[in-house]
Amino acid sequence: MVRHIVRKEFTDLLRDGRFRWCAAIVGVLLLVSLGSGWVETRRAEAAHSAAQETARDHWESQGEKNPHSAAHYGIYAFKPRLPLSFLDQGVDPYTGTSVWLEAHRQNDFLMRPAQDATAGQRLGALTAAQVLQYLVPLLIILLAFGALAGEREQGTLRQLLATGISRRDLALGKALGVTGALALLLIPAAVVGSAAITLGSPGPAATPLARGTVLAAGYLAYFAVFVALSLAVSAWVRSARTALVALLGIWVVNGLVAPRVAVDLSKWLHPTPSAVEFARTMEREIRSGVPGIERPDRDETADRLLAEHGVESVDDLPVNVIGVYLQESEEFANQIFDRNYGALWNRFERQGVVHEALSVAAPLLAVRTLSMGLAGTDVEQHRHFATAAEEYRRDLMRRMNGDLAENSRTGETYIATADSWAEVPPFQYDAPSLGWVLQNRTLSLAMLGLWLVGAFLVAGSLVRRAEVA
Amino acid sequence: MVRTVLRNEWRLLRADRALGLVLGVFALLFAYALANGLAWVDFQEETLAAAREGNVERVESLEAELQRIADGGRPSSPFRDPRSPSVLGGASGAQTAVLEPGPLTALAVGQSDLLPYYYDVSIQTNESSFLQNGEIENPLNLLVGRFDLAFLVVYLLPLLILALSFNVLSGEREQGTLALTLAQPVSVRGVVSAKLAFRAILVMALALGTSLLGVLFSGGFGSPGRVALWCAAVAAYALFWFTLAAWVNGLGRSSAWNATVLVGAWLLLVVVLPAGVNITAGLLHPLPSRVEMITAQREASNEAVNQRSELLARYLEDHPELAGGVAADEANRAALAWAATDAVNRRLEEGTGVYDERLAAQRTLVRRYRFLSPALLAQEALLDAAGTGDARFARFRSQVREFAEHWRTFFVPAILAGERMTADVLPGLPAFRFVDEQMREVRARAAIPLAALGGLLLLAGAGAVTRLRRVTGP
Repeated sequence: MVRHIVRKEFTDLLRDGRFRWCAAIVGVLLLVSLGSGWVETRRAEAAHSAAQETARDHWESQGEKNPHSAAHYGIYAFKPRLPLSFLDQGVDPYTGTSVWLEAHRQNDFLMRPAQDATAGQRLGALTAAQVLQYLVPLLIILLAFGALAGEREQGTLRQLLATGISRRDLALGKALGVTGALALLLIPAAVVGSAAITLGSPGPAATPLARGTVLAAGYLAYFAVFVALSLAVSAWVRSARTALVALLGIWVVNGLVAPRVAVDLSKWLHPTPSAVEFARTMEREIRSGVPGIERPDRDETADRLLAEHGVESVDDLPVNVIGVYLQESEEFANQIFDRNYGALWNRFERQGVVHEALSVAAPLLAVRTLSMGLAGTDVEQHRHFATAAEEYRRDLMRRMNGDLAENSRTGETYIATADSWAEVPPFQYDAPSLGWVLQNRTLSLAMLGLWLVGAFLVAGSLVRRAEVA
Repeated sequence: MVRTVLRNEWRLLRADRALGLVLGVFALLFAYALANGLAWVDFQEETLAAAREGNVERVESLEAELQRIADGGRPSSPFRDPRSPSVLGGASGAQTAVLEPGPLTALAVGQSDLLPYYYDVSIQTNESSFLQNGEIENPLNLLVGRFDLAFLVVYLLPLLILALSFNVLSGEREQGTLALTLAQPVSVRGVVSAKLAFRAILVMALALGTSLLGVLFSGGFGSPGRVALWCAAVAAYALFWFTLAAWVNGLGRSSAWNATVLVGAWLLLVVVLPAGVNITAGLLHPLPSRVEMITAQREASNEAVNQRSELLARYLEDHPELAGGVAADEANRAALAWAATDAVNRRLEEGTGVYDERLAAQRTLVRRYRFLSPALLAQEALLDAAGTGDARFARFRSQVREFAEHWRTFFVPAILAGERMTADVLPGLPAFRFVDEQMREVRARAAIPLAALGGLLLLAGAGAVTRLRRVTGP
């Protein structure tokens, strides 16, 4: 019997001009966004890897110079685009794309693409993720709002139930019919998406495909929530019109109101300092240290080295005091950076948790966080890259200062050979594993699971109690 | 007669629980959006106060130091001797140039959370200084955007309007009251206009009342022209939706059909079209990549550095404190360093000039598509009125650029001549003051989206009038 319901619902939907139009619009937008995202990502990735190579060339070909001058010259690191970022560009337009790795300083990521865009472009940059998060649920609502309420209004619900079918089976049939219609849209998109993932991955496609599979599962769960919710409302309220209004209300809260409320709430609970205040604190701490993190002193370093080596004059030391001192200053500054930047990043992450927690009221927040995480475009993965770049900077400085300390004497003007820069290993970034991402996103996963179970339970209970007329 | 309709509507509204609830919810949302905007203005003002205080403190400490040296003391650090013009005009004497929040920032956060509203200006300021980020903000929060009045007006207000007016005519017909009403000496148009006017008064009172309250709290009445523009934009946008509802009602279909079509129109005009416009613009006119600019900058400065100096001089410049016994001639070295800095700056200006031109061209193309969506038009007019759109920030940047030039012309001759500075120069230091846009400019700019919005309004109005004229009976 369920089979008949499914087939009837499915055929009905396919014959419905409204569905065909809506599905066509959503389908076209989905394909276009996939395509444009892919093109854009490839373009950016090509530009970034080319720039990274040029940056390395610049570093290697700086010629003869003092290693500390080379450290000041530094090198730029460009954030690579991960294979899945074409699905969901996440926070990428709002984080910088490159960072200058130089002596003494941990720099900010600069050049946020959004700063170059117009205010209008902030209103809605269409990505595949946005189509999936906003428009597909809307399509589901349009498909399912009348499922039971419509039958009730037309008086056909009584007839249907008179055939002996249980309310549960009827609702199940309706749900499957809607799902079938939706599948016509989503399966081609999934095929195109996985082809793009396979083609778009420079390395083996296994990891991106695994990420993509989890991503697809997350979105399917999100859609299932909406199917269940639509049926629940349709069973609950008297008229199809009221069902539509209520569901659109849910959609507006889910997609428009809750995300922005989460922004304000997160800022209120975990305020971030102003850039002026942040820079001032950092400047003060670098200048005079903080309790427990003392600023090194050049004379003290020299005295210590003299005592260690049991010699009287810095000229007799086997190392260059300045090289040792510079490294000690680096390590001191690094602790200050870790204190300040670490606190800021932690604050960002706690703000992110507020967004995730608010998914109690809006499943979009859970699926969005999950989607950005899997696409590699969330704040945590930006931090992961920033940390990797900073570690590379620290290693680079250690090498430069070590060269200066070991290969020259204090007071001597030391010039390293032109080929010494190539000995520094190039910057290599490994994106975090799927496990790492999922571990970060347990709250979102749990919330999505909760919504799925909750929506099905509510739908089940409301459908069982659905009135016939 | 119109008065009777209005009175009747008021009674109906008071009796309708659901509508009262919707209005109540919206009133709360408006209050919330306003509180949010006001909090943001407070944060900006506190930050700017700190920045200005920093300016004063820096000058005071330099003054004290210069005085101490004049009285025979030694500079506290040999490489930060404020008597040297390259130190006094450099980072340690830098001045923070600030942009006061736009007069109506409390109503529209706009781009003010993304674009920098203060820059440290010194002789080291060059084109790459303008690449800095704005205020510290979680990228996730930037991505989503704030819940401010502009958001509420552009996205949610149309929904309130549609909920109030999707069945102004169809509802009467379905209840059978239309025949009774038309038995009176009134036209269909008259009834529909009166009913819509009543709703429009409610909505406008809510939207404009909250806006004016926000202006009152944030002291924006200093620029009445901007307030008027803001109100005009809100009114034009709201009226567009009312007129659209009238048109759809004039088609003579059921209330359910009207609701579906109007919600569809909202989705299309507010959600889908802006997204579609942006995706098209992004594909057809991609923004030039800043990444390539970095590479070009790097090459420019490499070249400048190579032309300049021997290895020793470069080393000394990087670390005068480490030079030990090697004491190069101060003035000469500073002049040499300035020559290189200047060469790099010039190269940077050339490079960014080319980039900025391409960027401006792309942005012009992108902005052309805004005529497709009333939501984009309304957003542009609202941000422009509030002073948180792109234009005011671009103006700030260009004034900071000029100020940096001014700052350089103050210090560079002294650097080249190897002069020593005293505390006497401090009162005469250039000071930055942002010259805000003339109302004339704002009006001229906002006139374009407002006129386009007005055009859409007229179009919908013409449609509504023609359709409603044809409706003669129930």
